[in-house]
Amino acid sequence: MNPAVGLAAFLGVALATAGIGFYGLRISRTTGDFYVASRTVRPWWNASAIGGEYLSAASFLGVAGLILLTGTDALWFPVGYTAGYLMLLLFVAAPLRRSGAYTIPDFTEARLESKAVRRVTSLVVVAVGWLYIVPQLQGAGLTIRISTGLPSWVGSIAVVAVVCMTVVAGGMRSITFVQAFQYWLKLTALAVPVVFLLLNQTGGGSAVLAEASSNPTGLQAAGLYQTVSLLVALLFGTLGLPHVLVRFYTNPDGQSARRTTLIVLGLLSVFYLFPTAFGLLGRVFAPELASNGRPDALVLLLPGKLLGGVPGDLLSALVVAGAFAAFLSTTSGLVVSLAGVISQDLLGGSVRGFRVAALLAAVVPLVFAFTTDSMALAGSVGLVFAFTASTICPVLLLGIWWRGLSDTGAIAGMLTGAVLCGGALVSGTIIGSAAPGWLAQPAAWTVPAAFAVMVLVSRATKHRVPGTVTRLMTRLHVPERPVATERQLR
Amino acid sequence: MTRVRVTAPQSIARVAPKRPYHSREAAEDSDVGQVFVRSLIRSQLRLAVVVASGFLLVLAAYGSMVALVPQLAQMRILGIPVNWIILGVALYPVIGLSAWLYNRSAARNEARYRDLVEEK
Repeated sequence: MNPAVGLAAFLGVALATAGIGFYGLRISRTTGDFYVASRTVRPWWNASAIGGEYLSAASFLGVAGLILLTGTDALWFPVGYTAGYLMLLLFVAAPLRRSGAYTIPDFTEARLESKAVRRVTSLVVVAVGWLYIVPQLQGAGLTIRISTGLPSWVGSIAVVAVVCMTVVAGGMRSITFVQAFQYWLKLTALAVPVVFLLLNQTGGGSAVLAEASSNPTGLQAAGLYQTVSLLVALLFGTLGLPHVLVRFYTNPDGQSARRTTLIVLGLLSVFYLFPTAFGLLGRVFAPELASNGRPDALVLLLPGKLLGGVPGDLLSALVVAGAFAAFLSTTSGLVVSLAGVISQDLLGGSVRGFRVAALLAAVVPLVFAFTTDSMALAGSVGLVFAFTASTICPVLLLGIWWRGLSDTGAIAGMLTGAVLCGGALVSGTIIGSAAPGWLAQPAAWTVPAAFAVMVLVSRATKHRVPGTVTRLMTRLHVPERPVATERQLR
Repeated sequence: MTRVRVTAPQSIARVAPKRPYHSREAAEDSDVGQVFVRSLIRSQLRLAVVVASGFLLVLAAYGSMVALVPQLAQMRILGIPVNWIILGVALYPVIGLSAWLYNRSAARNEARYRDLVEEK
């Protein structure tokens, strides 16, 4: 690939991001604007922003790479990523918006009346956020190396720098505009090349796609346990992702939180058609990428490989731009939500504290990204989902729907999930590809274990259920008063 | 344009006490009010569980179809294998439809609750 093309694409995205962020800063005037965009973002804007934030390196590069590698098994990833939003809609969206809490620790503290629960939740949230940022930065490293030939660390550092600048300057309101823009950029960046490649390659009919199901790597198909466990992780992990949840507070009320989620589902469904198409095309035209160990680069390399010349360069630039939009948007979403947690719990909650916390939230994973080896992007993000599903998901679901949850139960359950799932992931990584399936994909047993411990310990400590539970459950589930929604927040 | 000092958002614990609409809140705190609230929560949970199980059943049906009918992987529409079409395209409308049905029913549950409370 022509290095100038890659560099121009990255600079273009960085400038557009900074520009929109700056424009947002000019109209971000109040505290509410800064943190939650005054909860008045329209459903379409908000849904685009949620989509923009959610579609990470794993979706943009990883899914196509994994499809190239394993075929239909990998198709469960986009299905799970999308269906996770269905679960979020069914069990979490409206009640969580009505809780009025800004972060997940705010929610657990208010629900369980306990500072200790708040601290444990904060730790888990920060761990999840950091784990999730690492693959984004590794994806950025891969992209910069492939598109410009520069060393990987340049890409990771560039992403962290741009994110810190936009987050520190603009807060939530400007981020909403940036994220919404980046959803549409990512969609365009995959859709246009796919259409071109299909027209170019299959103009004479689709007979050539017939080879698509051939397996270039000869990898074993995933067993039933693997698929089920992956789906558990993706379906129940999404509803605990900190950067996804913080977005729901920007809706004016519970009803619009649901409407927003429905639009998000539509946007995700449309988006995921294109990585799937890329994967399919890759299996036909670039199977060698699977065997030389860089399947994640498929999306970046395919346009140049198939078209060449100026059209190839232009499409490559578009894809590189889309990839950087993915790293930037997910990382900045995570950094905003982590900074919210860190600044409220450690730094007293001033805006200055928020800015310091944002730096902290972005720089720590940078160190991780340098010191660890990158795995397949979709796979490593899938593991983060497993961790979220075993820790944050049980406390949210039980907190919203079960009056009997006690603070001790919540802490015990979260720690159980964190230790079991974390332990399985670490030992699975150490053992490597020889690890048994139940270690490599632990969600199917760690999620039920965390739920069970949470329920049993809560049962045993009934006296610790807070007296405010009735009032809080009412608040979570009763529809808003028509006028009161906006005013009471000011 | 006036400058406003930006401070931390108030967390729920601090804003909870001062809310408007005391009369309706009192109604919700009463025993009868709580009966309505509990029944609203139950019906919302039931609805969510039903939709979720329905969707999981669709997934399970697909899984067992692939296992029981191995010829499926050989069938093609426009040159693309059928199981790719189902998993890569056809499941998304099912997700969207489930979500849309859920939204309608959840809003209806809430409207029914509102009617009950306001009748009193």
